[in-house]
Amino acid sequence: MKTLSIDLVAGIVLLAAALVLPLTGMDYLVGIAFNLAMWVALTQSWSILSAMTGYVSLGHVVFCGIGAYMVALTTGSLPLAASLGFAGLAAGVSALVIGLPVLRVRGPYFVILTFGLAELVKNVIVQIETGLGQFSRLIFDAPPLNSLYLVMLGLAVAVTVAAVFVRHSKLGRGLIAIRENEEAAEAIGVPVIRLKLIAFVAAAIIPGIVGGVMLLRTSYFEAAQAFDPVISFSIVTMAIVGGSGSARGPILGAFAFVLLSELLWARFPQLYMIILGILLILFILFVPRGLSGLLDRKEARQ
Amino acid sequence: MSGPIEPLLAVKGLSSGYGPVTILREIDIEAAPGSVTALVGANGAGKTTLMKTIAGLIPAWTGEIRFDGQDITRAATHHRVDQGIVLVPEGRMVFALLSVEQNLRLGAIAPRARKNVSERLEDTFRRFPRLHERKGQLAGSMSGGEQQMLAIGRGLMAKPRIILLDEPTLGLAPIMVKQVFAVIEDLRKDGYTILLSEQNSRLALEIADYGYILENGRVQLSGPGPELVDMPDVRRLYLGR
Repeated sequence: MKTLSIDLVAGIVLLAAALVLPLTGMDYLVGIAFNLAMWVALTQSWSILSAMTGYVSLGHVVFCGIGAYMVALTTGSLPLAASLGFAGLAAGVSALVIGLPVLRVRGPYFVILTFGLAELVKNVIVQIETGLGQFSRLIFDAPPLNSLYLVMLGLAVAVTVAAVFVRHSKLGRGLIAIRENEEAAEAIGVPVIRLKLIAFVAAAIIPGIVGGVMLLRTSYFEAAQAFDPVISFSIVTMAIVGGSGSARGPILGAFAFVLLSELLWARFPQLYMIILGILLILFILFVPRGLSGLLDRKEARQ
Repeated sequence: MSGPIEPLLAVKGLSSGYGPVTILREIDIEAAPGSVTALVGANGAGKTTLMKTIAGLIPAWTGEIRFDGQDITRAATHHRVDQGIVLVPEGRMVFALLSVEQNLRLGAIAPRARKNVSERLEDTFRRFPRLHERKGQLAGSMSGGEQQMLAIGRGLMAKPRIILLDEPTLGLAPIMVKQVFAVIEDLRKDGYTILLSEQNSRLALEIADYGYILENGRVQLSGPGPELVDMPDVRRLYLGR
């Protein structure tokens, strides 16, 4: 309870700072904050499925890509809000369709299958675009950075609230039972197929919208970029660095990742991926519960 | 078989298996309310497959399963649990990284069990004082016997009308085996209906109201438990004496 209230205060302070930021007029900072909110939203949504159920997805970017593609196709002919809503809907429906077959396999097979599926969808859309003679689609009249930032911030807050809610709900307890032992979960009456599918779809909707907003920020769509597997890898990295035992893990992971990226890009652009890789290995070996787990231990000692 | 009393569970002509492999062939068994019904037989006779098919973890290929007069042959596992059919699986399958209390509370996840969870938790702790002492401990760090008690306790949290106890003494020390059988007799005294699968044939048949001997996926013999123990053929073929 005490931890929750500290987290709540920290969250409100953070949110207030985030809301004031655009007033400073410093686009560079707003750009960083935009990225931060984006990674929080993506990692938090990933954790609803993967951290809760133990079904580790290495293809989370597929929902971003689908959302981005939907916005690329509909922007101009639909109001922007409808376009983004459509992006979330398309991602959710895709999750519903691919979820049933995909969620039948567990462990490393699920990891490989999600990765392969994301690559498959990417290449299908690359082919479609090539067939249509489109190599990239430019988006005109994208809203200014400040507006996009506020939308992204709203998504990050919404998915964080959803993640806290899921963790403390009956759904969350069912998902934890599935993670711990799926057969035992089934034997005690957890409707495992239904719950896994609900988590899969819930985890897909937000990244669909996030993908749409990302597209508006870069203002052009190119399939290989919208479905870049590095996005999936980064999400998993942030979840590991931040720790996924609580809803604050993905936030801590995104902060560490984005701030470090800024520093490394500025000073050692060639060493960027190498340093990130080393960090990931160190965390897996020595801090398996992530930054959030470190904080838990510190609080427990006090 | 069980006289004028309607059986709580009735399995008729049941076949099932894994993939192309048939394990159960034309199984007929019944369990009378408030009784202990034992399934005994060698490893590979099909006891666990039968338990899993009754619980719905494996689909039935042919035949039917009736519970309290209702056909549940095609019902999903969670619907069966919600009717009161609760499997305590072979190998215990406690949630190793969760605490004893969390394990027990998860047992009450079925809609029928969601009311009065705290009272049922108290009841379970009274039945298994050891679990109360260890309620904050990780389930995986307990001994095999304690984990078995936890698995049974978790099953009781679901408000079962029939408990499917699959190999509850597997791998336990002799003193724990005795305790598990004492728990089974207590549960019967409290009115629970129990279907018990055991490789410990003699002990199981001695306490069972009715017993079935399985061999190669078929019911080979059946009768009141103590009568089966006394049959010379049973002694020679199944009890090793």
